[in-house]
Amino acid sequence: MKHTFQQIFRSTNYVIGFAIFMAIVLTVIVYPLIITDPPLEIIGQGTFFEPGIYVNVYDSIGSSPNTLMLDDAAPKRIASKLSNDDRLAMKDWLVAAGIPENEIDIDNTKVLLDQWERNYDPTQKIAGMTNAKRNYFIRLNNSLKGLLSTEGVSIAVKNAETGALEETSVVEQSDYVNIRQVPNVRVLLLGTENFGRDVLTELVAATGVSLRIGFVAGITATLIGLTLGLLAGYIGGLVDDGIMFITNLFTVIPSIVLLILISFSIGQEKRGAFTIAVVIGFTGWVWTARAVRAQVISLRNRDHVNLSKLSGHSIVHIILTDILPYIASYVVMALILQISIGILMEASLSILGLGPKTTEVPTLGLMLNWAFIYQAPILGKWWAYLPVIVTIALVTFSMNLMNTGLDQVFNPALRE
Amino acid sequence: MKGYRKYFLNKLLWFLVTLVFAFILNFTLPRLMPGDPVAAIVSRLAQGMSDATGVQAIYQQYTDLFGTNRPMLEQFFIYIKNVAQGDFGFSFSQYPRTVADVLKSSIWWTVCLQFPAIIVGWLIGNILGALAAYLKGGFDKVLMPVSIFVSNLPAFGMAVILLVIFAVNLEWFPTSGGYGFDLIPNFSWGFTWSVIVHYQLPFWSIVLVAIGGQAIGMRSMSIYELNADYVKYSRFLGIQDRKIVGYVFRNAMLPQITGLALAIGTMVGGALVAEIIFSYPGLGSTIYTAVLGRDYPLISATALIITLMVLSANFLIELVYGILDPRIKAAQAD
Amino acid sequence: MPRVMLEVKDLTTKYITRFKEDVYAVDHVSLKVEEGKTLGISGESGCGKSTLALSLMGYYFAPLHYTSGEIIIDGRNISGMDPDDVRKSILGTEISYIPQSAMNALNPTQKIIHFIEDVIQAHGPPYQTKKEIYELATGCCDVLGLPAEVLQKYPVELSGGMRQRTVIAVSVILFPKVLIADEPSSALDVTSQKMVIKMLKNLMEKGYIKSMIFITHELPLLYNVADDIMVMYAGQIVEKGTAKEAVFDPLHPYSKGLMGSIIVPEKGLRDVKLTAIPGVPPNLKKPPAGCQFAERCKFVWPKCKAASVPLRDVGYGRAYRCILSENELRDAYLREAKKDAR
Repeated sequence: MKHTFQQIFRSTNYVIGFAIFMAIVLTVIVYPLIITDPPLEIIGQGTFFEPGIYVNVYDSIGSSPNTLMLDDAAPKRIASKLSNDDRLAMKDWLVAAGIPENEIDIDNTKVLLDQWERNYDPTQKIAGMTNAKRNYFIRLNNSLKGLLSTEGVSIAVKNAETGALEETSVVEQSDYVNIRQVPNVRVLLLGTENFGRDVLTELVAATGVSLRIGFVAGITATLIGLTLGLLAGYIGGLVDDGIMFITNLFTVIPSIVLLILISFSIGQEKRGAFTIAVVIGFTGWVWTARAVRAQVISLRNRDHVNLSKLSGHSIVHIILTDILPYIASYVVMALILQISIGILMEASLSILGLGPKTTEVPTLGLMLNWAFIYQAPILGKWWAYLPVIVTIALVTFSMNLMNTGLDQVFNPALRE
Repeated sequence: MKGYRKYFLNKLLWFLVTLVFAFILNFTLPRLMPGDPVAAIVSRLAQGMSDATGVQAIYQQYTDLFGTNRPMLEQFFIYIKNVAQGDFGFSFSQYPRTVADVLKSSIWWTVCLQFPAIIVGWLIGNILGALAAYLKGGFDKVLMPVSIFVSNLPAFGMAVILLVIFAVNLEWFPTSGGYGFDLIPNFSWGFTWSVIVHYQLPFWSIVLVAIGGQAIGMRSMSIYELNADYVKYSRFLGIQDRKIVGYVFRNAMLPQITGLALAIGTMVGGALVAEIIFSYPGLGSTIYTAVLGRDYPLISATALIITLMVLSANFLIELVYGILDPRIKAAQAD
Repeated sequence: MPRVMLEVKDLTTKYITRFKEDVYAVDHVSLKVEEGKTLGISGESGCGKSTLALSLMGYYFAPLHYTSGEIIIDGRNISGMDPDDVRKSILGTEISYIPQSAMNALNPTQKIIHFIEDVIQAHGPPYQTKKEIYELATGCCDVLGLPAEVLQKYPVELSGGMRQRTVIAVSVILFPKVLIADEPSSALDVTSQKMVIKMLKNLMEKGYIKSMIFITHELPLLYNVADDIMVMYAGQIVEKGTAKEAVFDPLHPYSKGLMGSIIVPEKGLRDVKLTAIPGVPPNLKKPPAGCQFAERCKFVWPKCKAASVPLRDVGYGRAYRCILSENELRDAYLREAKKDAR
């Protein structure tokens, strides 16, 4: 046994798969200990906030500012308001308005803005300009007001008695705040999704739930498959025929159809995560049963089994002590496979809307379901679905790698 | 063809048995719910419906359909009779359309999308796998990791990736639908072109996932066959490499066909979800909207149709295998 | 002067392993096979017999590579020939091959006649018609005692023995000048072995093949099949001679050891004790300096390990690889025999 373990951990495939899988599991366990916010808590008012660091503006104004004189501060400010496309558009307008082209330098902001200010006339008709374009220039003009000024911004508070605004402080352009001194900063690495929930926290929780569902489904499927395979393989005869008949039936009928039917019939109230997991397990045992049966058949005529039979051991005893240890490797591989299939099935079901109840726990499939309903892909809000898909892919990929590694250990013919 | 009789009959018998089983399953599952199934369904559904006469009519029709006061067996035969006549009842969510009507419009979209896609994916995947085994070297080293990665992506994952890259970002293809919103189905060139354009992304997402899965399997089979004794022997008798490669792939292909028959259920399942992502007007979207609308008859009928499709495909594939593998005919002849 | 069907001069071929090491599986081998004769090649597993067989065909597949030497078939030097020419005009037509475990050498999904058609068509124009091919095939089947129906069947429908004979038929259908039979009888029981040998001899008599190389590890068999015998060890020839000489008067200690370890139910040999040769053959990746057999030789001297030992030619096709002279060896064997008899 020890030797087998050593071999397993020397197989590159297994080690890589195992490492990825363990990384995911550890994250799922450790993350909630650090970040204790409930995953389904709605924090964003509004949908699909982009990933980033969200700094509370009120607090940053209130904190004592520090002055930093940075050369690139002004250009950066201007660049964020005035993109290259905008500059080209301004140049086009100016040329159309009669300014000779060689006098226009789009890289010299000051000169460009000067020329613009002197020449821009919203009422001037330029040939071939659409209404939309004209509105664009009006907006652009408005946004450029005060772009080059170095004045600060005044903060005023309403006087409770007079109702008038009284200036309390001025925010200079060179004021910086140390983010660590701002009491309210929220890092949203993956932004928020359609309901306004923190995607990262929700993702970690959903991964945990999906893993658990996959695990339960996998164990259920493996147990059923193992039992049926053992019985069919060892006892043979009519029992074998009967079990194989049922197995073949379930092979052909697509499991997803079964899942849809059962899931829908159960009704939404009863669909907890655990229930769904068991249901998935009930439909996925076919492959395991077949594989186990094949193994058992080849084992049942081996000498040690015959010896046990002669010694008078009961069937159960023989199965447990003589056959199980030899098929253990297959069972482990089957279990891993079933878990990854379970996770995928749950995701598919949830996308269809037949997954676990939406109010208690998030699952990976549910997150995708919401993302699709709210059109996240089309709107370009990649953070709502892409990390989920990547997680699903990583989980299944790592499990398949582990399986390939195990396969190579147990089946030397496959070693490269 | 005489030699095939036994094989053919065997497979046909199996097809019929599974068919009966599918019907039974489709019939019994929902009826396993406790309580009056009709009332439970209608009460759930009535939440979403505002048409009172509609609810009444459905309740009446459904009670008749169910015949809940009659013994189970009789209900079953009523069910079979109705299905045989193509009568699946009314759709709850699209009342007053009948379920049969809804299905008729979506079934062809699915069949025309999925089965060519699965077959094309299977073919290309097998060819790539065979090439990787034969050419070895760089081609193999690139194909393997890519295949492993792609085969681990669920079908909907691939669908989303294609959607985002090609439809949303590059805007080369439309993001949803089977044809342009503003077009009415007809046989004009404009419409046909729109259909073709809308067909691409769903088609390729199914194909790519199928390729990934097949390539790995075919590569292993081919490697195994390439090292077989008959390859060495044929070579030493002077037979050209080209011919030998032909032998090898014919032999490696056979288990792949069987593999396709076993996997087709899962592939169709994955393809259905891909359809949903593209809002493609096929059975996938039908189920999706049916679930949203708690439309029980539609769900049940769609499930049945999908099962029938998979069963038929399975049956066809087994027949094809029987023709292609000469050993089957040989085994029957004695 | 009988025609020389196959002459091999100093052939050396090697395997290049995955780790780019050279393994010299055939080390400067020379041999001659005349028309109507059978050469037997013997030696233990791993000595290079099968590799030699493959090397003789003139067509090399990685990891096997040709290094040096000449192969002349009926006066035609094929070493250095373009591989495509070798495939078309040599493989199967001039020199042919019956593989080990011939029963599995047929494509399971191809009818025998189609396979034969492919074999014949592969050898370039003129292309014979299907009818001509069919007649050729039935002729071969007749000689080997196979019914013509075999041609229309798939390998899975034939018994093991029939498959064996089918493979022989396909190998000789192009009337090769040299037929290499690689352990054709190793998987068979004694009666079947006899039948196979009879069939092969029959083929030679009827002119389907002009000469034969018979490879086996079973020496007693060779005595009944071969006219000349060659013993190989670690990729080198260690003894050459007529069948009688090799079996009853082996010179090389290895051949002597081999003969001492078999049961030959013939007169006068009843009291000979059986001995096995201790030790294992050397690792061909790192061949030892000096004589390859030195580690296991009963009569070893220090100078055996000093320099590599050349093959000693003592005339009339007799040769052996040892630094001792013929008389020294024969004396040593007599002394051994007397010691054992006590």
